Amino acid sequence: MNFKQIIRPAKRLGMVMTGLALLGTGLTTQAATEEYMLTVTRPNQLHVIDTKTDKVLRSCDVPGIFGNGGIATSPDGKIAYVMTNKWEDVYGFNIDNCKIVFSLKQSSSKEQVKSMISMSVSADGKELYTVQNPVKLHKDHFEALQPRLAVFNTADGMNAKPVRTFPVDRRITKLGFIEKTGEVILGGADIKAINPKNGETRTLAKLQNWDRSPEGWVPPDAFAMHSLGEHVGEYIMPYFTIKWNGAPGEMEKAEFLWGMTKVDTKTGEVTTGEVLPFEFIVFNWLTDPNNEDIVYGSFNQLSKHNVKEGKTLAVHPMEHTYYNINMLQDGSKIYIGGTSSDISIHDPKTLEKIGSIQLSGDMSTSDLRLAKVQR
Amino acid sequence: MKNHSMKRVLRFGGAVAFLGFASTASAIDGPQIIKENCLLCHSETGKAEAPFTRISEQRKTPEGWQTTINRMKSQRGLKIKPEHERVLIKYLADNQGLAPAETAGLRYVLEREPNVIEQDVPEHVAGTCTGCHSSARSGLQRRTQDEWEKLIHFHMGQIPSIEFLAGHRDRPWFQIATSETSVKLGEGYPLVTKAWDDWKATPKASLKGDWVMSGHMPDKGDFTATVSVMNSQQKDDYVLLINGHYADGSKLSGSGSAKVFTGYEWRGAVVINGRKMRQVFAASADGTELSGRMFLKNDDVMGGKVTAMKAGKAETVVSVSPAYIKQGSSQTLVIGGANLSKKVSLGSGITVEKVISQSADRLVVQVKAAKDAAVGLRSLKVGSDSLENSVAVYDSVARVEVTPSESIARIGGNGGLIPKQKSIYRAVGYAAGADGKAGTEDDIRLGYMPANWSLKPFDAVAEEEHDLKYAGAIDAKGIFTPGDAGLNPERKMSTNNVGNLAVVGTVKEGDAAVAGEAHLLVTVQDFVKELIQ
Repeated sequence: MNFKQIIRPAKRLGMVMTGLALLGTGLTTQAATEEYMLTVTRPNQLHVIDTKTDKVLRSCDVPGIFGNGGIATSPDGKIAYVMTNKWEDVYGFNIDNCKIVFSLKQSSSKEQVKSMISMSVSADGKELYTVQNPVKLHKDHFEALQPRLAVFNTADGMNAKPVRTFPVDRRITKLGFIEKTGEVILGGADIKAINPKNGETRTLAKLQNWDRSPEGWVPPDAFAMHSLGEHVGEYIMPYFTIKWNGAPGEMEKAEFLWGMTKVDTKTGEVTTGEVLPFEFIVFNWLTDPNNEDIVYGSFNQLSKHNVKEGKTLAVHPMEHTYYNINMLQDGSKIYIGGTSSDISIHDPKTLEKIGSIQLSGDMSTSDLRLAKVQR
Repeated sequence: MKNHSMKRVLRFGGAVAFLGFASTASAIDGPQIIKENCLLCHSETGKAEAPFTRISEQRKTPEGWQTTINRMKSQRGLKIKPEHERVLIKYLADNQGLAPAETAGLRYVLEREPNVIEQDVPEHVAGTCTGCHSSARSGLQRRTQDEWEKLIHFHMGQIPSIEFLAGHRDRPWFQIATSETSVKLGEGYPLVTKAWDDWKATPKASLKGDWVMSGHMPDKGDFTATVSVMNSQQKDDYVLLINGHYADGSKLSGSGSAKVFTGYEWRGAVVINGRKMRQVFAASADGTELSGRMFLKNDDVMGGKVTAMKAGKAETVVSVSPAYIKQGSSQTLVIGGANLSKKVSLGSGITVEKVISQSADRLVVQVKAAKDAAVGLRSLKVGSDSLENSVAVYDSVARVEVTPSESIARIGGNGGLIPKQKSIYRAVGYAAGADGKAGTEDDIRLGYMPANWSLKPFDAVAEEEHDLKYAGAIDAKGIFTPGDAGLNPERKMSTNNVGNLAVVGTVKEGDAAVAGEAHLLVTVQDFVKELIQ
């Protein structure tokens, strides 16, 4: 097993300790925190689910045609920003009453602008970020332009316009936010961080442009749309790679591996490396809040793994495909959603199904996001 | 030399006559239709050689232009009268089409031939375009360098997820597509070519006249027919009458119309024995041969190769079926053609026992091969004409190849909008040849043979998932019909009736049997079916 931890062991130990310290804080604040699962279904509704009862509390109509169902929440958990209208518009909902408190339209008559689920909110909740993929609409042809980070003031309310934009790489999917540095995490071919005040960008982890020999490794296929690890404060970009133990292309000797780039969204600490043998497709990964070595994955199965030991601990076959996974801050329940119209609830210890929530439509590619509201 | 010049003069005369006819028949011409319908977005350049932005920078097949106009209607708000659309496609295909040499080798995609495994896909196309398209789709277009680059930008606007797709996102797709792929496409498929200049200057032959046709329909078998092609009201428009027989002797009759684009692209719409069919043929430069594929209008997998030859007064042999005779055995041969005499010859050791029937399109004879008739390919002579190496004399069937060897069928129907996509198999027999070993270079191809058809799981996973039970069934003619679309609660994860199967074709050889296998993947519907896949 090739477990490559780029940070030094001492640093790793420090991270574990930080994790434990945070966990302690989490347990104390949790008494006053209500947790809600948020998702979007076709034709276009945002659903607010009470995780105490696992019932849909309310469903909010989202304007426009269903997009990708992307959701970003405000740090206080009260506002859900939903991407809609074929990946172009964003509406902010007060999840207590479905009131729309914010909106932005990215496209104009001169430009078609799409965001590939790329949306994040600053730690103070004052700024919303999207990565825009603009295409200039000439009279008789299109012109693909450089993607850009667009910064919006959430206080601008309806029809907000970007207050700043900065050029970014192509192929960026999910965003995150690092509290300590105030940077936006850009998940693309490589994992980068951009300062949304001045556009300064630094590389957190090289993936497609990594410094490994093509004789030894296949450049990673890194792609993720959903899980942001808000239950533990961690951004995970999974990737798939092949290690050639013989000549490149010699499949008998090759190792198929899952890797992960993890960013601690509080401190900005980065770990990256191969963690598990590739046994089956997993769409999204989550870390157990009570043991950072344990991760869960969903797709055609719910699976539990120890990334320190590179082992699969348990596999629970699912009744259908579920793209998405999330869990509560105390690690007591796993929620599996996306794809179809039901959210499946599981016990993290045994992976057994302990509940189900039927929704009014298909989730398709929608997020399954945890909102933490202090009451 | 004198004859050649005479022919040229005659053809020029014909073409000029047609041009005159066209100018009186069309109230509005292509450029005028473009001016009236397209200039909200496109602009006039003032250059005679390329009068309209974008439009004048491309050459395409009739299907290619139809696809463009369909997109303009569905995505860009074009509203055009159907009769003007027809005139425009004809104008564009005629004046900005592809020469025969430019479509050669890529016609399968126009003919909608299923289960083609493309050969010689250019590397720059394989990594960039073939995730969604056939390689032939770009190969059947000619553009300026700037236009190829604009095509990449079009994709970025039309399919914004394109650079995020699996197979694209592991590389800088847009950068590669603009800086490498579009450049190489511009070099390989430029707007201006000698082939097109030459073809434009070539006088186009009329396809009017009597033809003899032979072909194959999966459910009916081989057929032969005579086809009368007559001029219709517009230039390059024809009406046709088809009369003939299937191999079992049953009658084939039908009629329809055809339009010829670009001087050689025959597109026919016919009704044969009550079934609506489409013809996608290419005419030879001299207008004496047509070849292509004919298929059911609503089920394009159900079709087969067709060839036709212009019939004069001389004997013309087009086809023979079957294409094999076993040593020491009698065989009934159906010979397709025109003006066929009863003088059939297959060389020494083969005797004609009797003439079973004779009609305008075919001659049916019973022949017998002597026990010691030499094994190998023979030419079939009928009177003064012959089909070279068309009939094999063989000792025994040593192996069977099932074609296509790799195939796809798609679930469908069951109340959904997309019908099932079948897959069709044929067994090709081979004799071992002089070395007596099957599977070596000197094997003798015996042609298509009748076979018994069956299915089995392709691998252990298919067996465990009971694919055989759900994925579909094959009939006695080798036609596989896939299962119903939609979730199946009986299956693991309520999955669709997809499956991974092996198709087994078994040919009788005396008391023994020789079998061949092909791979069949039964998969989900093709939700984006295009004129040019």
